[in-house]
Amino acid sequence: MGLSFLNATAPVVGSAFLASLVEAVEAFTIILAVGTLRGWRPAAFGTVGALAVLAALIALLGPLLAYVPLQPLQLAIGILLLLFGMGWLRKAVLRAAGIIPLHDEAAIFTTETVELARRADEKSAAFDWIAALTAFKAVLLEGLEVVFIVIAVGAGRSLTWPASLGALAACLAVLVIGLAVRKPLARVPENTLKFGVGVMLSAFGVFWTGEGLGIPWPGQDLALPVFAGLFLGVALAAASVLRRPLAEPVQ
Amino acid sequence: MSLIREIVAELFSMFAADGRLALGALIVIAIAAILVSALPTHPLAAGVVLLVGCLAILVAAADREAKRRASN
Repeated sequence: MGLSFLNATAPVVGSAFLASLVEAVEAFTIILAVGTLRGWRPAAFGTVGALAVLAALIALLGPLLAYVPLQPLQLAIGILLLLFGMGWLRKAVLRAAGIIPLHDEAAIFTTETVELARRADEKSAAFDWIAALTAFKAVLLEGLEVVFIVIAVGAGRSLTWPASLGALAACLAVLVIGLAVRKPLARVPENTLKFGVGVMLSAFGVFWTGEGLGIPWPGQDLALPVFAGLFLGVALAAASVLRRPLAEPVQ
Repeated sequence: MSLIREIVAELFSMFAADGRLALGALIVIAIAAILVSALPTHPLAAGVVLLVGCLAILVAAADREAKRRASN
């Protein structure tokens, strides 16, 4: 395996893995709340339904990417990655600075459980559609982000398959660990992961946007870690300058 | 219908949760695109504008939100 292949593949797989880990943890919290409170049948039904919709979307839209010329594809993906990645990074900086509360999976689990219990009192049916829809929505919304990230980091260099494997590994890891502990994965350092992923997605965004505009980056793929280092340094400095006492975790 | 609305809202917020950050990034990209056309012999100038512009917009967006929350 050549060094240049590793240089190109490692950031793609790493970014897809870490970003998917964050999204999978968020989706798992909701599935766990549905499963423990309202039963695993509607939780599984909603989850499988959402995965089927996501698979259909990928099967429908994935092959179309092959017909888009590379440079416009890189530009479009680069712009979307910049908007998405910088949004994540901005939020991660604000969380690291204590300006907005950290994401707390245990608190979200409690809130979701209370909400599901309240809705159960309102309506009862043979099959728990409310619970199934809750799981469906969580998996679909978080899954859409995973699909976008996989396509965005992978398509610019025809590395969609390695990126997909990275995302799949993250989802399986969350599923296996989550089912083993049967608790929200509150100890996952979510903001640290989001910080790292925001840095990588922003760096990819600048890289692909530049390539799409016809800018020949010095060092080609080696420019990517340089961009990531710059985003990381600037984001850490911003978090440090803006730092306040930690806010209460979000409910 | 509310599910579709929620999905559309989620997709929109994925890319433009902070409208001014998104607009700023699009303006920087447009300036870089103009520079690539205007200075075809110095395309790296556009690259520097793109990179530095995005970093500046990120800091400005975080600072703006911090000040907004501090004033509330």
